[in-house]
Amino acid sequence: MFPSLHSLGSCTYNGMDLTVLEKQQARLKWLQQQQQQQNYVVQNNAHVELCTSSVPQFQGLLGSSLCGGQLVELKMPEVYLGSDDFHKFVNFSVAGPEFGVSKMDLVMPEAAADYSISRTSGCQMTAFQTAVIKEEGEDVVLEKMESTTGRESFNKRKAKAVADYKCKDKKIKEVEAESEVKTKCSAEVSRNSSKEKSKASEVQKPDYIHVRARRGQATDSHSLAERARREKISKKMKCLQDLVPGCNKITGKAGMLDEIINYVQSLQRQVEFLSTKLAALNPSVEFNVDNLHVKEFPAYVANFPAAAKSPAMANLACLQLNPLQKEAVNCILDATMHPPGTATEGIASASMLIPEQALGSSCVTQLQPFSTWNTDPQCLYNVYNMGFH
Amino acid sequence: MSPMNNPQDLNPSSLKSRFTTRFLRALTKINGQKPISSSSPREMFQRYRRIKVAADKSMAWSVRSRRTWSRAMLWKLRSRYSCRQASSSRRSSVRTSTIIKSRQAKTSHEKENKNTTTGQDEVGFVVQADKLRKLVPGGEAMDLCNLLGETAHYIKCLTTQVQVMRKIAHFYSL
Repeated sequence: MFPSLHSLGSCTYNGMDLTVLEKQQARLKWLQQQQQQQNYVVQNNAHVELCTSSVPQFQGLLGSSLCGGQLVELKMPEVYLGSDDFHKFVNFSVAGPEFGVSKMDLVMPEAAADYSISRTSGCQMTAFQTAVIKEEGEDVVLEKMESTTGRESFNKRKAKAVADYKCKDKKIKEVEAESEVKTKCSAEVSRNSSKEKSKASEVQKPDYIHVRARRGQATDSHSLAERARREKISKKMKCLQDLVPGCNKITGKAGMLDEIINYVQSLQRQVEFLSTKLAALNPSVEFNVDNLHVKEFPAYVANFPAAAKSPAMANLACLQLNPLQKEAVNCILDATMHPPGTATEGIASASMLIPEQALGSSCVTQLQPFSTWNTDPQCLYNVYNMGFH
Repeated sequence: MSPMNNPQDLNPSSLKSRFTTRFLRALTKINGQKPISSSSPREMFQRYRRIKVAADKSMAWSVRSRRTWSRAMLWKLRSRYSCRQASSSRRSSVRTSTIIKSRQAKTSHEKENKNTTTGQDEVGFVVQADKLRKLVPGGEAMDLCNLLGETAHYIKCLTTQVQVMRKIAHFYSL
């Protein structure tokens, strides 16, 4: 039933792992059973014709024709584009001399045998690429799919496939331009503007990044490396966008960076404020670690409003402090939240922030002594200066 | 006080629990050193500084050396501590200050190199990148790509730190 597969297996590849082929065969069988279509074997003298209607299948087969012997591991083979669309074709060829094979036979399930396009030398190819980035210390696999066939409908279908491939833990981007950094294949790139690349595993970080040059763009290593670098940076900016709250509407790197800077500053100020609070605590109870762990923390969800100062101020208001401690805490707070030059502005802004919080009535009474801030900024300066000696 | 809810840091090796244990240990030590009842604002300020340093140190220790920013922070804390320790002996303080100066020179030199090579690409936001470098510990010596990755991890650790400290303060203030 799979004669071509056997021929596939019999092809000699330089440095090819045959277990890859076995995996591909198993996957093909599974997909075949799913789709219940007849196999369509395409053979060509000098080219390989590939008719596919399901991208994952194609990916699986591509994985067997790697440059550099690396394995493409598909995450979601069960995503199925739909076999009823017979107009999607991808033509693809393997650089023969490099691999030591002149042709490769591939089995593609195909509902109708009429729709096959013979590949010409100038035709584009499809490449699939996986990249691994480290995100927050964890490995996240990014699958990049790219198709540059002449058919626009395939591109639309591919966009749908990209959407299908998205899942909560992985992001998939369409890479429009890739460039090759590996010098071994650079000659190939210069010869043939379109080349197929696929990249290795999901587990390890790759040694280099396969990028492919778009048609009509510069293919020298500098601009390609530059492009790869820019892609990395934009990836990281997207990760940061998820971390920093309220960044979804901001577009542009400068605005994002401003937002990130503000957020980091507010977090650091929060830490300082909380350490003043802890410094002012009366340690009648010992800081018993077991105590804290056994008695579970109350559900004190750290909700982070954009104005990070506001909850801090509310906490300060509710804290039971004796007057001396209150004044000291106020001074420290003022000193930490604002540089000495703008102490008075800090007081004004701080007193503005307090009403924003929904304070309980018991807390409001605590606010009365705070009004003394406005009347005596000089004392604050003195304490602040004293603290630094 | 609100009723107990599900435990939040059950995983003993999570960042949160590591930081919590270390920080509480440091807090106990600080509180044991001086009683709080006799605190003038100056002593309060000193306590605050010590607690802040303890918080930063615990966080950096929980991350260990896996990240550039944690390594930089630990190095800074250690050098500051050794500076203070060696303040009596002039020779060692000169040595540590020369170390600090050489490191600063190295980082500024690296920054110059980086600026010349990547200036054309980052003209738009060099200013912000510099600001970010000052905020994130160890950021001066990093290129933009690594800086963004370090910032992401630093933000995550800071949020953990704030959460834990807030819980502790809340728990013990009631």
